Amino acid sequence: MSLRNTLRTVSLGLLAGIALTASALAADGKLIVIITPSHDNPFFKQEAVGAQAKAKELGYEAAIYSHDDDANKQNDLIDSAIAQKAAAIILDNAGADATVAAVQKAKDAGVPSFLIDREINATGIAVAQIVSNNYQGATLVAESFVEAMGEKGNFVELVGKESDTNAGVRSKGFHDVIDQYPDMKMVAQQSANWSQTEAFSKMESILQANPDIQGVISGNDTMAMGAMAALEAAGRKDVLVAGFDGSNDVRDAIIAGKIHATGLQPAFRQAQYAVELADKYLKEGSTGQPEKISMDCVLITKENAAKLDNFALKD
Amino acid sequence: MTNTVATPAAEAPKGQSTLLLLLLKLRTFIALIAVVVFFSLMAPNFVTVANAVIVSKHVAINAFLAIGMTFVILTGGIDLSVGAIVGLVGMVAGALVLYGIPLEMFGVVIYPNVWEVIGIALLVGTFVGLINGLLITRMQVAPFIATLGMLYVARGTALLMSGGSTFPNLIGKPEFGNQGFPTLGSGTILGIPLSIWLLLVVACIAAYVATKTPFGRQIYAVGGNERAATLSGVSVNRVKLAVYMISGFCAAIAGLVVASQLVASHPASGETFEMNAIAAAVLGGTSLSGGRGTIGGTIVGAFVIGVLSDGLVMMGVSEFWQMVIKGVVIVGAVILDQMQRRIARNARLG
Repeated sequence: MSLRNTLRTVSLGLLAGIALTASALAADGKLIVIITPSHDNPFFKQEAVGAQAKAKELGYEAAIYSHDDDANKQNDLIDSAIAQKAAAIILDNAGADATVAAVQKAKDAGVPSFLIDREINATGIAVAQIVSNNYQGATLVAESFVEAMGEKGNFVELVGKESDTNAGVRSKGFHDVIDQYPDMKMVAQQSANWSQTEAFSKMESILQANPDIQGVISGNDTMAMGAMAALEAAGRKDVLVAGFDGSNDVRDAIIAGKIHATGLQPAFRQAQYAVELADKYLKEGSTGQPEKISMDCVLITKENAAKLDNFALKD
Repeated sequence: MTNTVATPAAEAPKGQSTLLLLLLKLRTFIALIAVVVFFSLMAPNFVTVANAVIVSKHVAINAFLAIGMTFVILTGGIDLSVGAIVGLVGMVAGALVLYGIPLEMFGVVIYPNVWEVIGIALLVGTFVGLINGLLITRMQVAPFIATLGMLYVARGTALLMSGGSTFPNLIGKPEFGNQGFPTLGSGTILGIPLSIWLLLVVACIAAYVATKTPFGRQIYAVGGNERAATLSGVSVNRVKLAVYMISGFCAAIAGLVVASQLVASHPASGETFEMNAIAAAVLGGTSLSGGRGTIGGTIVGAFVIGVLSDGLVMMGVSEFWQMVIKGVVIVGAVILDQMQRRIARNARLG
C-alpha cells in the first residue's frame, strides 16, 4: 500500500516537473505566432511562409494559424497565443475595428503584436503596423490602365469584399486617377468579394448588360482571373484586364498577353520585415522605427513579369 | 399510407380549387414571371437570347445541387456537404489533369483522358455521398450533423490537396492525351452551352425517377411517414443511402462544370452553395420536413434565384441589397407555401 502511495507521489512529482519544464520552455520567449487570413489565397500563404522562414532563421519557433477573416476566431487564436506565452504575434488582421480589443489584450498580457498588410483603427497598441501602400499601388495600376486604354473608353470595376478596408482604399486609388480623364466611363461597378467564381459569373452578366466595354479593372488578382475567364468564354480578346496583388497566376496571364497589369504588394518581404522588427524589439526593447510603416507597391507589366515569383521581385 | 404520401398530382382537391388556390399553387412560376418582367423593364439588354443563355448557365450550377438536395429533403434529410463536394471534386479533377495518377512503385505517372477524369471525379462525389449515407443509416447520426461534419472534412481535404492554392490552366497537354477539359464549361451544341444540355438531361431523369419509378414512390413514402414506409416493406436505409449518393453525384457534376468554366480549380469554390441549393428547393415548394416537393418546382425555384441575382447585377444593385432581397424572397415563398397548404386543407375538409 505504502509502495503504491510512494509510486503515486513520485509519478505526480514527475508529471508536475514535466509540466513546469514545458511551461518554462514556452516562456523562454522563443515562439512567434503568425496569424493570417485563409491560405486559400496564395498571397496570405506567402506571408505565412515568409514570416516562418525568417523566424526560423533568427532562431525562433514559429506557429502558423489562419483566422479565415472571422474576428471571433482571431480573438480565440490570440487568446491561445497569450496562453502559450508567445514572444510576439505577427498578424494580418480580420478587421480594422474588430481587431483593436484583441491586440490590446495581447499587449496587456505582455505579448507584442506586429501587424502586416492591414491596419487597425488605433495606434499605440501594436508595436508596428507595416502596410503596403495600397493607395499608391492602385494609382500605379490605374495610370497604366488608362494609358493602355488610350485615355478613353468604357470600363467595369470589380470591387473586393466591401467590408474590407483595402477594397475601399484600392477603389479610391483607381478612381482618383481614372476620374481625371473625362473620356473614361465606368459603366458598371460590382463587388465580387475577392472571389474568382463570383467574378466569373458577375462578369458574364455585366457583359450582357454592357457589351460595349474596353477594360476591366479589378481590386485583386483572383477576381481579375475570374473576369479574364468570362471574357475568354465570350470571345472578347479586345478587353483589357488589370488586377492587384501580383500573384503567380496573373503573372503567367500577363506573360501570355491575357492580362495587362497588376500591382505587386511585397507580401513576402513585408512578413519577413515584421519578424525582423519583432526580433529587434525583443532584444533591444524598441524597433527604432515609427509604428506605421508603409511599403510601396510595384507595377507589374509584360516588361518585368518574368522576374516575379511568389510575391517577390527577383533582381 | 395513401394519406401520408403526397404525390405531386394528388395535392389539388378536385373540383374545389378556387382561383386563389390555383394562383398559390403556381406561385413559384408566377414569381419567376414577375422577376423576368421586372428586369426586362429595369435592366438593359435583359431580354436577349444571349442573356437567357448566360442566366441559364449560371442557374445550371445551382440547379444540379438543388436536384440532388430535393431528393435528400424529400426523405426528410438535408445535405450540407454539397458545396464542399463542389470544391473537392474540382480539385480532384484539377489534380488529375495537371499531375495525373503517380504510381510511385512503378515510377510512372498515368494521365487519364478527359472522360476518365470526369468519371473519377463523379465517383469521388458519389463516394462522399455514400459516406454521408452510411453515417446516417448505420451510425444513426442526424443528417444535419453528419453532412455538417462532411462539409468540413471535404473542404479541408480540398485545401490539403494543393496547400490552399489554385490549380491553374487545366487545358491538358497533347503529349499526355488529356486535353479537352475546358470543353465541358465552354463547349456548345446548337449555340447552347453543354452545361444547360446536361441540366436538361439530369432534370428529366430526376423527374422521371421521382414520379414514375417505384424508387421515387419509396422516397416520398420515407419522407411522408418513415414508420409507415418501413411497415409497408420499404427498405428505408437503402432509400436514404441512395439519395445521399445521388446528392453527392449531382454536386460532383456542378464541381466539374465550375472548374471547367474557370479552367482552374480553387479549393474554396462552392462555399455557401449548399444554402442556395436548399433555397431553390424550398422556393420550389419542397417541404423541409420531407414527403412533399417536385423536381420541376426546384428547377423553377433555382431560376427565380438565378434571375434575381443576375438581374440585380445587371441593374448595378449593390451586393448588400442583393443579399437582403434574396432573403426576403425565400422567406416570402415559404409563407405563401404555408398559406396554400392551409387553404388546400380547408378546401379538402369542406
